[in-house]
Amino acid sequence: MKTSIINDTRYLLPDNLTKKHFLDSLKTCFTVKQVTNTSESFSILENFEWSLYSKKMMAIRHENQTISLWNELNLFDDETALVIDNINARAKFWWDFPDSDAQQTLKPILKLRALYPVYQGILKIEQLNLQNDEGKILIFCQFISICEPERPRSPIMRQVKISPVTGYSKEHKQAVKLLRELGGFKPSLPPMDSLLGALGISPAPYTVKPELNLPAAMPARTAVSSIISTMIEKQRLNEQGIINDIDTEFLHHFRVSIRMVRAAIAQLKEVFPQHDVPVLKQRFGDLARETNYLRDIDVFILDKERYMNFLPESMRNDLLPMFNDFEKKRQTEAKRISRWIASRAYRKEIDDLQSLFINGYSAVETEWSEQATIELAINKIQKTYKKIYKAAQKINNTTPDENIHSIRISCKKLRYLLYFFASEFNMKKIKRVGKHLKSLQDTLGIFNDLTVQGDFLKNYLYQLEHKPKKDIMLIASLGGLISTLYTMQLQERYRCIQELAIFSNESNQQLFRETFIVSPEAG
Amino acid sequence: MKIIASYSIKGGVGKTAASVNLAYASAKAGNETLLIDLDPQGASSFYFRISAGKKDKRGYFFTQKNRLLKQIRGSNYKGLDILPANLSFRNFDIMLNSMSKSKKRLKQILSSLEKEYDLIILDCPPSINLLSENVFNAADMILVPVIPTTLSERTYEQLLKFFQNNGYKKKIIRPFFSMAQSKNKLHRQTIANMENRHPEFLKSIISFLIEIERMGVHRKPALVYASKKSHVQSYRTLFNEIVKILDKK
Ligand SMILES: Nc1ncnc2c1ncn2[C@@H]1O[C@H](COP(=O)(O)OP(=O)(O)OP(=O)(O)O)[C@@H](O)[C@H]1O
Ligand SMILES: [Mg+2]
Repeated sequence: MKTSIINDTRYLLPDNLTKKHFLDSLKTCFTVKQVTNTSESFSILENFEWSLYSKKMMAIRHENQTISLWNELNLFDDETALVIDNINARAKFWWDFPDSDAQQTLKPILKLRALYPVYQGILKIEQLNLQNDEGKILIFCQFISICEPERPRSPIMRQVKISPVTGYSKEHKQAVKLLRELGGFKPSLPPMDSLLGALGISPAPYTVKPELNLPAAMPARTAVSSIISTMIEKQRLNEQGIINDIDTEFLHHFRVSIRMVRAAIAQLKEVFPQHDVPVLKQRFGDLARETNYLRDIDVFILDKERYMNFLPESMRNDLLPMFNDFEKKRQTEAKRISRWIASRAYRKEIDDLQSLFINGYSAVETEWSEQATIELAINKIQKTYKKIYKAAQKINNTTPDENIHSIRISCKKLRYLLYFFASEFNMKKIKRVGKHLKSLQDTLGIFNDLTVQGDFLKNYLYQLEHKPKKDIMLIASLGGLISTLYTMQLQERYRCIQELAIFSNESNQQLFRETFIVSPEAG
Repeated sequence: MKIIASYSIKGGVGKTAASVNLAYASAKAGNETLLIDLDPQGASSFYFRISAGKKDKRGYFFTQKNRLLKQIRGSNYKGLDILPANLSFRNFDIMLNSMSKSKKRLKQILSSLEKEYDLIILDCPPSINLLSENVFNAADMILVPVIPTTLSERTYEQLLKFFQNNGYKKKIIRPFFSMAQSKNKLHRQTIANMENRHPEFLKSIISFLIEIERMGVHRKPALVYASKKSHVQSYRTLFNEIVKILDKK
């Protein structure tokens, strides 16, 4: 029946209940028929952000490397698993899996993140049918246990799931009663949490976006210290992933975190003594700059598919030598960065910087350091917005690209200010502001990416100059790419001008005036 | 949701064998399927190891969806439910007679299961009466097993005549050959003749199969225990042919 609700009941079994006793008790009421009985080593796969967990899904890699993907409600149910082929057993990213259905399912969840095992153990699943004398199934029963690899005989979790069959509710109740009498108890947490809990794993969903809750009246310097501390913590969460080169997002988030630290220092500089600011800027800037080249190559390689698709099919392979080139360069550079992050020098520098902020930056008072955070927030947000809309109003068809790029940077600054201070203002209004800003930033971002990509290719082309003639097809395809990007850039420029007009119109100005005020409900 | 009736005026022609195996094939193909055992003998229910339902004297079956749902049992197979035979089904005709719109009652109650099932298969008892007229009104297809003998041919034509005389749509009737013996000359001739005269015959033919007779011992659809190579698989072919026709409508 389609509409019958899934009415599975899960019970955890007490440690002192032996399996034999459990089965014998079942046999007093039912004919117990074992249908399947499997035991295998398995791993639970996740990415750094716990994206599957956040979507209430779980991926398990079996002994034969196949992966089963479940919704929480159907955990361990063979028939509803999305079984993902994993022939070469090395798939980490959604695009590594051979099956396109699996790719489409995983793509929006995993994005650019790699899957890796967060738990390895032994999984035993026994499928039992509880029947009557006629051989009619009355209840489906699944006995699941998980053991640590070192102690395959002492399960650290035993769970029984009983699923009723339509029309046999009486028998189901009987089984529930029996389980209760045996000391079985319903887990208080949802299936995935109770499983992970039993295995001693705590999911730690992560996002680079800070969630700050700075009281409106907090002294501004304390607030800014706390912002910077939070972002340094985020930065450091990404260190291990860069060292192990798990996926490119670690470095990306590492850099985003530093960028937010730098934005906080530069834009909220009035809370610090004047002569400290350039030093702090320099020190964080150095950390970021060290990783520029690797990030450039990463971005370029991630776009491989897209570049190829810009060209006629017959020319696509001509680009491969260039990508091979960059993949080699990336290997070398990623190793260098991995060693750098693992180095004592880096660790000392970041430890030092972190200790400056962790308990509030200590120095002499400044004009702003003791003022209420909300005053600082309003002042800065209004100023940044004003700067954007003033610049936007001057944009027309003849404005140099440079000016558009500089507005993009101001928008990013505004975005970070909103991250830092969102909790001080009316949430609904902040959301509206955020939406307007996002739509503008997206357009400006595409425009900027096209410029950066064009420049990147041009640079590569220039340094090819002295290579032999066999590269002629590569050069031709580069030419094709560069001109495609240029055409797209021209179109995108037009869209930027439209978006800027919207962002700086009277109603948006009004929205900013209304949103960034001292309101009684916030803080 | 579609409704197929496995029906024949004649007894012992393979209606139940077809219902049971088609229902299983349907569920296997991913359809939420309900097999309704309309025969008080309860042969279908027996094959699925389900005992007769509680006696329902007042004919709630035809009036109240809740009561109907309560009688439904999950089979041993995923996606396949059974509404077992009920002894009170013996009194269907009396029950129906006392109701208004007595020929459309079955159609009404079954259409209320739209959300629950993709396909309903009715295993009918052999007769023409008020119950069968309810079946004719409810079904999207009347599947008629025909043993290729001269006598069966006459019974089949009786059914066509009944449809014609009583204003039922003849085109929902789709016969197929059942228990056909390819070594039997008479069978071969009858098949050729009837296919000629009645183009509505389905292409799939169910041969006389020893495995079907063993269904009573196994108490499972023959498709479950017969080997992949055996002719029992022709029930799957038959099911696929039926689905194609129903999908076209
Ligand atoms: N294809 C077949 N090959 C061999 N035997 C068959 C086949 N189909 C049905 N039978 C046997 O013929 C007998 C009657 O079949 P079945 O019960 O399916 O017919 P029916 O039309 O439902 O009968 P009834 O009218 O009594 O309900 C049964 O013993 C069954 O095992
Ligand atoms: Mg029958």
